[in-house]
Amino acid sequence: MPYLLNNAADQKAMLASIGAASIDELFAMVPAELRLGRPLDVPPALGELALTSHLGDLAAKNDAAGSGVCFLGGGSYDHFVPAVVDFIASRSEFVTSYTPYQPEVSQGNLQAMFEYQTLIAQLTGLDYSNSSLYDGGSAVAEAVLMAMSVNRRPGRVLIAASVHPDYRQILATYLANLDVELVVLQTPGGTLDPETLRTAIDDRTACLLLQQPNFFGCVEKMEVLAKIVHDAGASLVTSVDPISLGLLKRPGDAGADIVVAEGQSLGTPMSFGGPYLGILACREKFLRRMPGRLVGQTVDRSGRRCWVLTLQTREQHIRRDKATSNICTNQALLAVRAAIYLSTMGPTGLAEVANLCLQKAHYAAEQLTKSGRLTLAFPQPMFKEFVVRATDGRVDDLLAKAQAAGIFAGLPLGRWYPELDDCLLVAVTEKRTKEEIDKLVSIVGG
Amino acid sequence: MRNTRSTELIFELSKPGCSGAHLPPCDVPLRPVAELIPAEALASKPLPLPELGEPDIVRHFVNLSTLNMSVDTHFYPLGSCTMKYNPKRNERIAAMPGFANLHPYQSDDTIQGMLELLYRSQQMLAEISGLPAVSLQPAAGAQGEFAALLVAAAYFRDKGIKKSVVLIPDGAHGTNPASAVMSGFTTVPVKSTANGLIDLDDLKARLNDGVAVLMITNPNTLGIFETHIAEIAEMVHEVGGLVYLDGANMNAILGITRPGDFGADLMHFNPHKTFSGPHGGGGPGAGPIGVTEKLAPYLPSPIVVKDGGRYRLDYNRPKSIGRVRSFFGNTGVLVRMYSYIRTHGPDGLRRISENAVLNANYLLSRVKHFLPVPQGDRCMHEFVASATRIKADRDISAMDIAKRLLDYGFHAPTVYFPLIVKEAIMVEPTETESKATLDAFAETLERIVTETPEQLHDAPSSAPVSRPDEVRAARQPMLTWKPTAT
Repeated sequence: MPYLLNNAADQKAMLASIGAASIDELFAMVPAELRLGRPLDVPPALGELALTSHLGDLAAKNDAAGSGVCFLGGGSYDHFVPAVVDFIASRSEFVTSYTPYQPEVSQGNLQAMFEYQTLIAQLTGLDYSNSSLYDGGSAVAEAVLMAMSVNRRPGRVLIAASVHPDYRQILATYLANLDVELVVLQTPGGTLDPETLRTAIDDRTACLLLQQPNFFGCVEKMEVLAKIVHDAGASLVTSVDPISLGLLKRPGDAGADIVVAEGQSLGTPMSFGGPYLGILACREKFLRRMPGRLVGQTVDRSGRRCWVLTLQTREQHIRRDKATSNICTNQALLAVRAAIYLSTMGPTGLAEVANLCLQKAHYAAEQLTKSGRLTLAFPQPMFKEFVVRATDGRVDDLLAKAQAAGIFAGLPLGRWYPELDDCLLVAVTEKRTKEEIDKLVSIVGG
Repeated sequence: MRNTRSTELIFELSKPGCSGAHLPPCDVPLRPVAELIPAEALASKPLPLPELGEPDIVRHFVNLSTLNMSVDTHFYPLGSCTMKYNPKRNERIAAMPGFANLHPYQSDDTIQGMLELLYRSQQMLAEISGLPAVSLQPAAGAQGEFAALLVAAAYFRDKGIKKSVVLIPDGAHGTNPASAVMSGFTTVPVKSTANGLIDLDDLKARLNDGVAVLMITNPNTLGIFETHIAEIAEMVHEVGGLVYLDGANMNAILGITRPGDFGADLMHFNPHKTFSGPHGGGGPGAGPIGVTEKLAPYLPSPIVVKDGGRYRLDYNRPKSIGRVRSFFGNTGVLVRMYSYIRTHGPDGLRRISENAVLNANYLLSRVKHFLPVPQGDRCMHEFVASATRIKADRDISAMDIAKRLLDYGFHAPTVYFPLIVKEAIMVEPTETESKATLDAFAETLERIVTETPEQLHDAPSSAPVSRPDEVRAARQPMLTWKPTAT
């Protein structure tokens, strides 16, 4: 076995020190009748060469989006990852360390986390960020739990139908055994109508969950909605696309109290959905109910500036059943990637990426709907995603034709919205070229 | 050689006008942004992000990395965390474009290789656990616990059985009670005996019709196998309850015994522990769960199924609890897990546990003479020593010992956990360390306990910082950098 270091002589000496006759004797605690007594029925061992070939064969059975042309979005995006992110984030000291329980030998991780927390606060316009959650979906659930707890209104939560359907399902799953009413506000026009919100909200409502830009790519009227939410004494929880913040008003400046996001766009490959990065930021009043690790600045005994895990009395290893969340391991390495990505982009780079997405998405929307075979389902302001409707209703044909040409044309929406079963969600990142867009148009829209 | 100029905060290294971004010109006709987005939704000023060129960014983060201890650089015997070697072949494989560049919403016919890998992973975990139905969706062990408890709740609700209590031994990980409360249960602790096992009399006293689940870690957090596990499981099953196994310590029993065979109904795996996924400074991990046949319908959706020769994601699961995470979970971690299991095969998996247990027992045999290990002469994959005596005699605490180890080039063990051992020092060497390393560690530990209290209270003296003021960090939280007023 390539990862074992003790030879037969070592093992013999070790057993002698233990006072055991055999390795088997060390398992005496395991009652004989509970022993497996046969080899596990898993495939035989593979050497590195055979293993690499086998996994290479499996990888080759996939059509990597990177080798084709990807217009798929819906929470996972084909953004460009600068080489510097992969290079730094593959350092052994980041990859093979663990939660910084010993701050003296973890200052690299701790400082990187502190920088990440600051970058996310700068990006969202809010006071605090934790040092990561699992993904954008479970971050939504954690944010809502936090709002319910801090507002002392555990009974009612509003959620726009324009929020990612999988995120809504995760929230419903998280809340399933708690006594809370989850109310979905319909969004027939593609965004949440302020009147719909005004009618639904009451003084038992803990929060409204909104997505900006929403699942359909449309820009919600956030400030108007925020005012209605705040007038009712509730909180606004907003799930955002971090790339969009290169152009759009920061959610903290537009009235959001808690911001969550899927951080995959910030330097992490699509990797079939994970590992990703759950971002969570909030205003001051939520601080002591935040889930997850927090890194704080302090000084050591010589007065040197340094960083530690802090406010741990919120957490499961201290508070057990009274903890704000059960989260332990989070997504630290992905947070480091996001910190490197945001530092590399800076304000101008992120604005440029966002503008490229915006321009190309609008070009694609215009070209795809030119002939009239496709129409825009929601003629609303949008950022990098939009919904097109096939006037002949034949979404599957259209997808198949595009796929035959090496293009993933978009995400069919019928699975989540039966009334949109003739619709596709199309995402356009900065990686898509005019040539690729024109090719898609010539196949499906022209 | 450290370069402290580059490890100022990235915000302090920022210089207006610099940027590491290098983007292509826009190749479609440019339209004014104001035409596309309403003014009230647009940012009115640039983001306050730092501005640096690429060389400064690389120097900054690379220098930061050198301030960490890691498995690739040091012995890291952090109990309960299974800090084993992380194979490099797994990293290269997970980065193959055929895995790393897959969009999670690609159609099933374009991801047959990935689905095959996931399907086989479900099967391999089922075989290793003896629990036939597996969901790979949870993103970490704690989320696996939560998902499995939701499965238990959904099962009882579906059968019309009212149960609200989760029993948790007092030595359990803090995630257990936290997960139980999040999933709507109330928790009741169960005592341990002096030798670290579940107190059967106390368990008996707590068991009644209201008990939904007993959460148990086996081997437990003291590194001891619950000899009476079959009897315990039977007692829980008799009142109609389910047994949940916290799989954090699976590294001790691969191919030796299976949770499904010793009475567990549900469990989670920690692929970042048992199956060598790197810990990443605190994640990503993954938390697949396995359950018995009768609980299978309630598992999260989707599951990978095989129809004929074709793999697909099955969403048609009407009794499912739903989802705990978007997409299909931390698949990148699962690719590494798959590679690791395939590297080992049946004999190799067993040898992992044999050597993990051998290493732990050897270290125990070297340590127990000078640092008492209250719960016995033998252990499974880890053991818990106690500094109680040396604390009373010489005012040397578990924390002092941990900090001094850093000076000698060892990461510290887990300290002050589990809570049932005072001044706990929890040591898990894993199977990928050599006798020579274990000898050096034991000798160092023995030397440390003979050092003066002053030397230890001042430790570490060679690390970049020493004994950060944690009270100040908590009392005056400074969680973001703020520009100094000019």
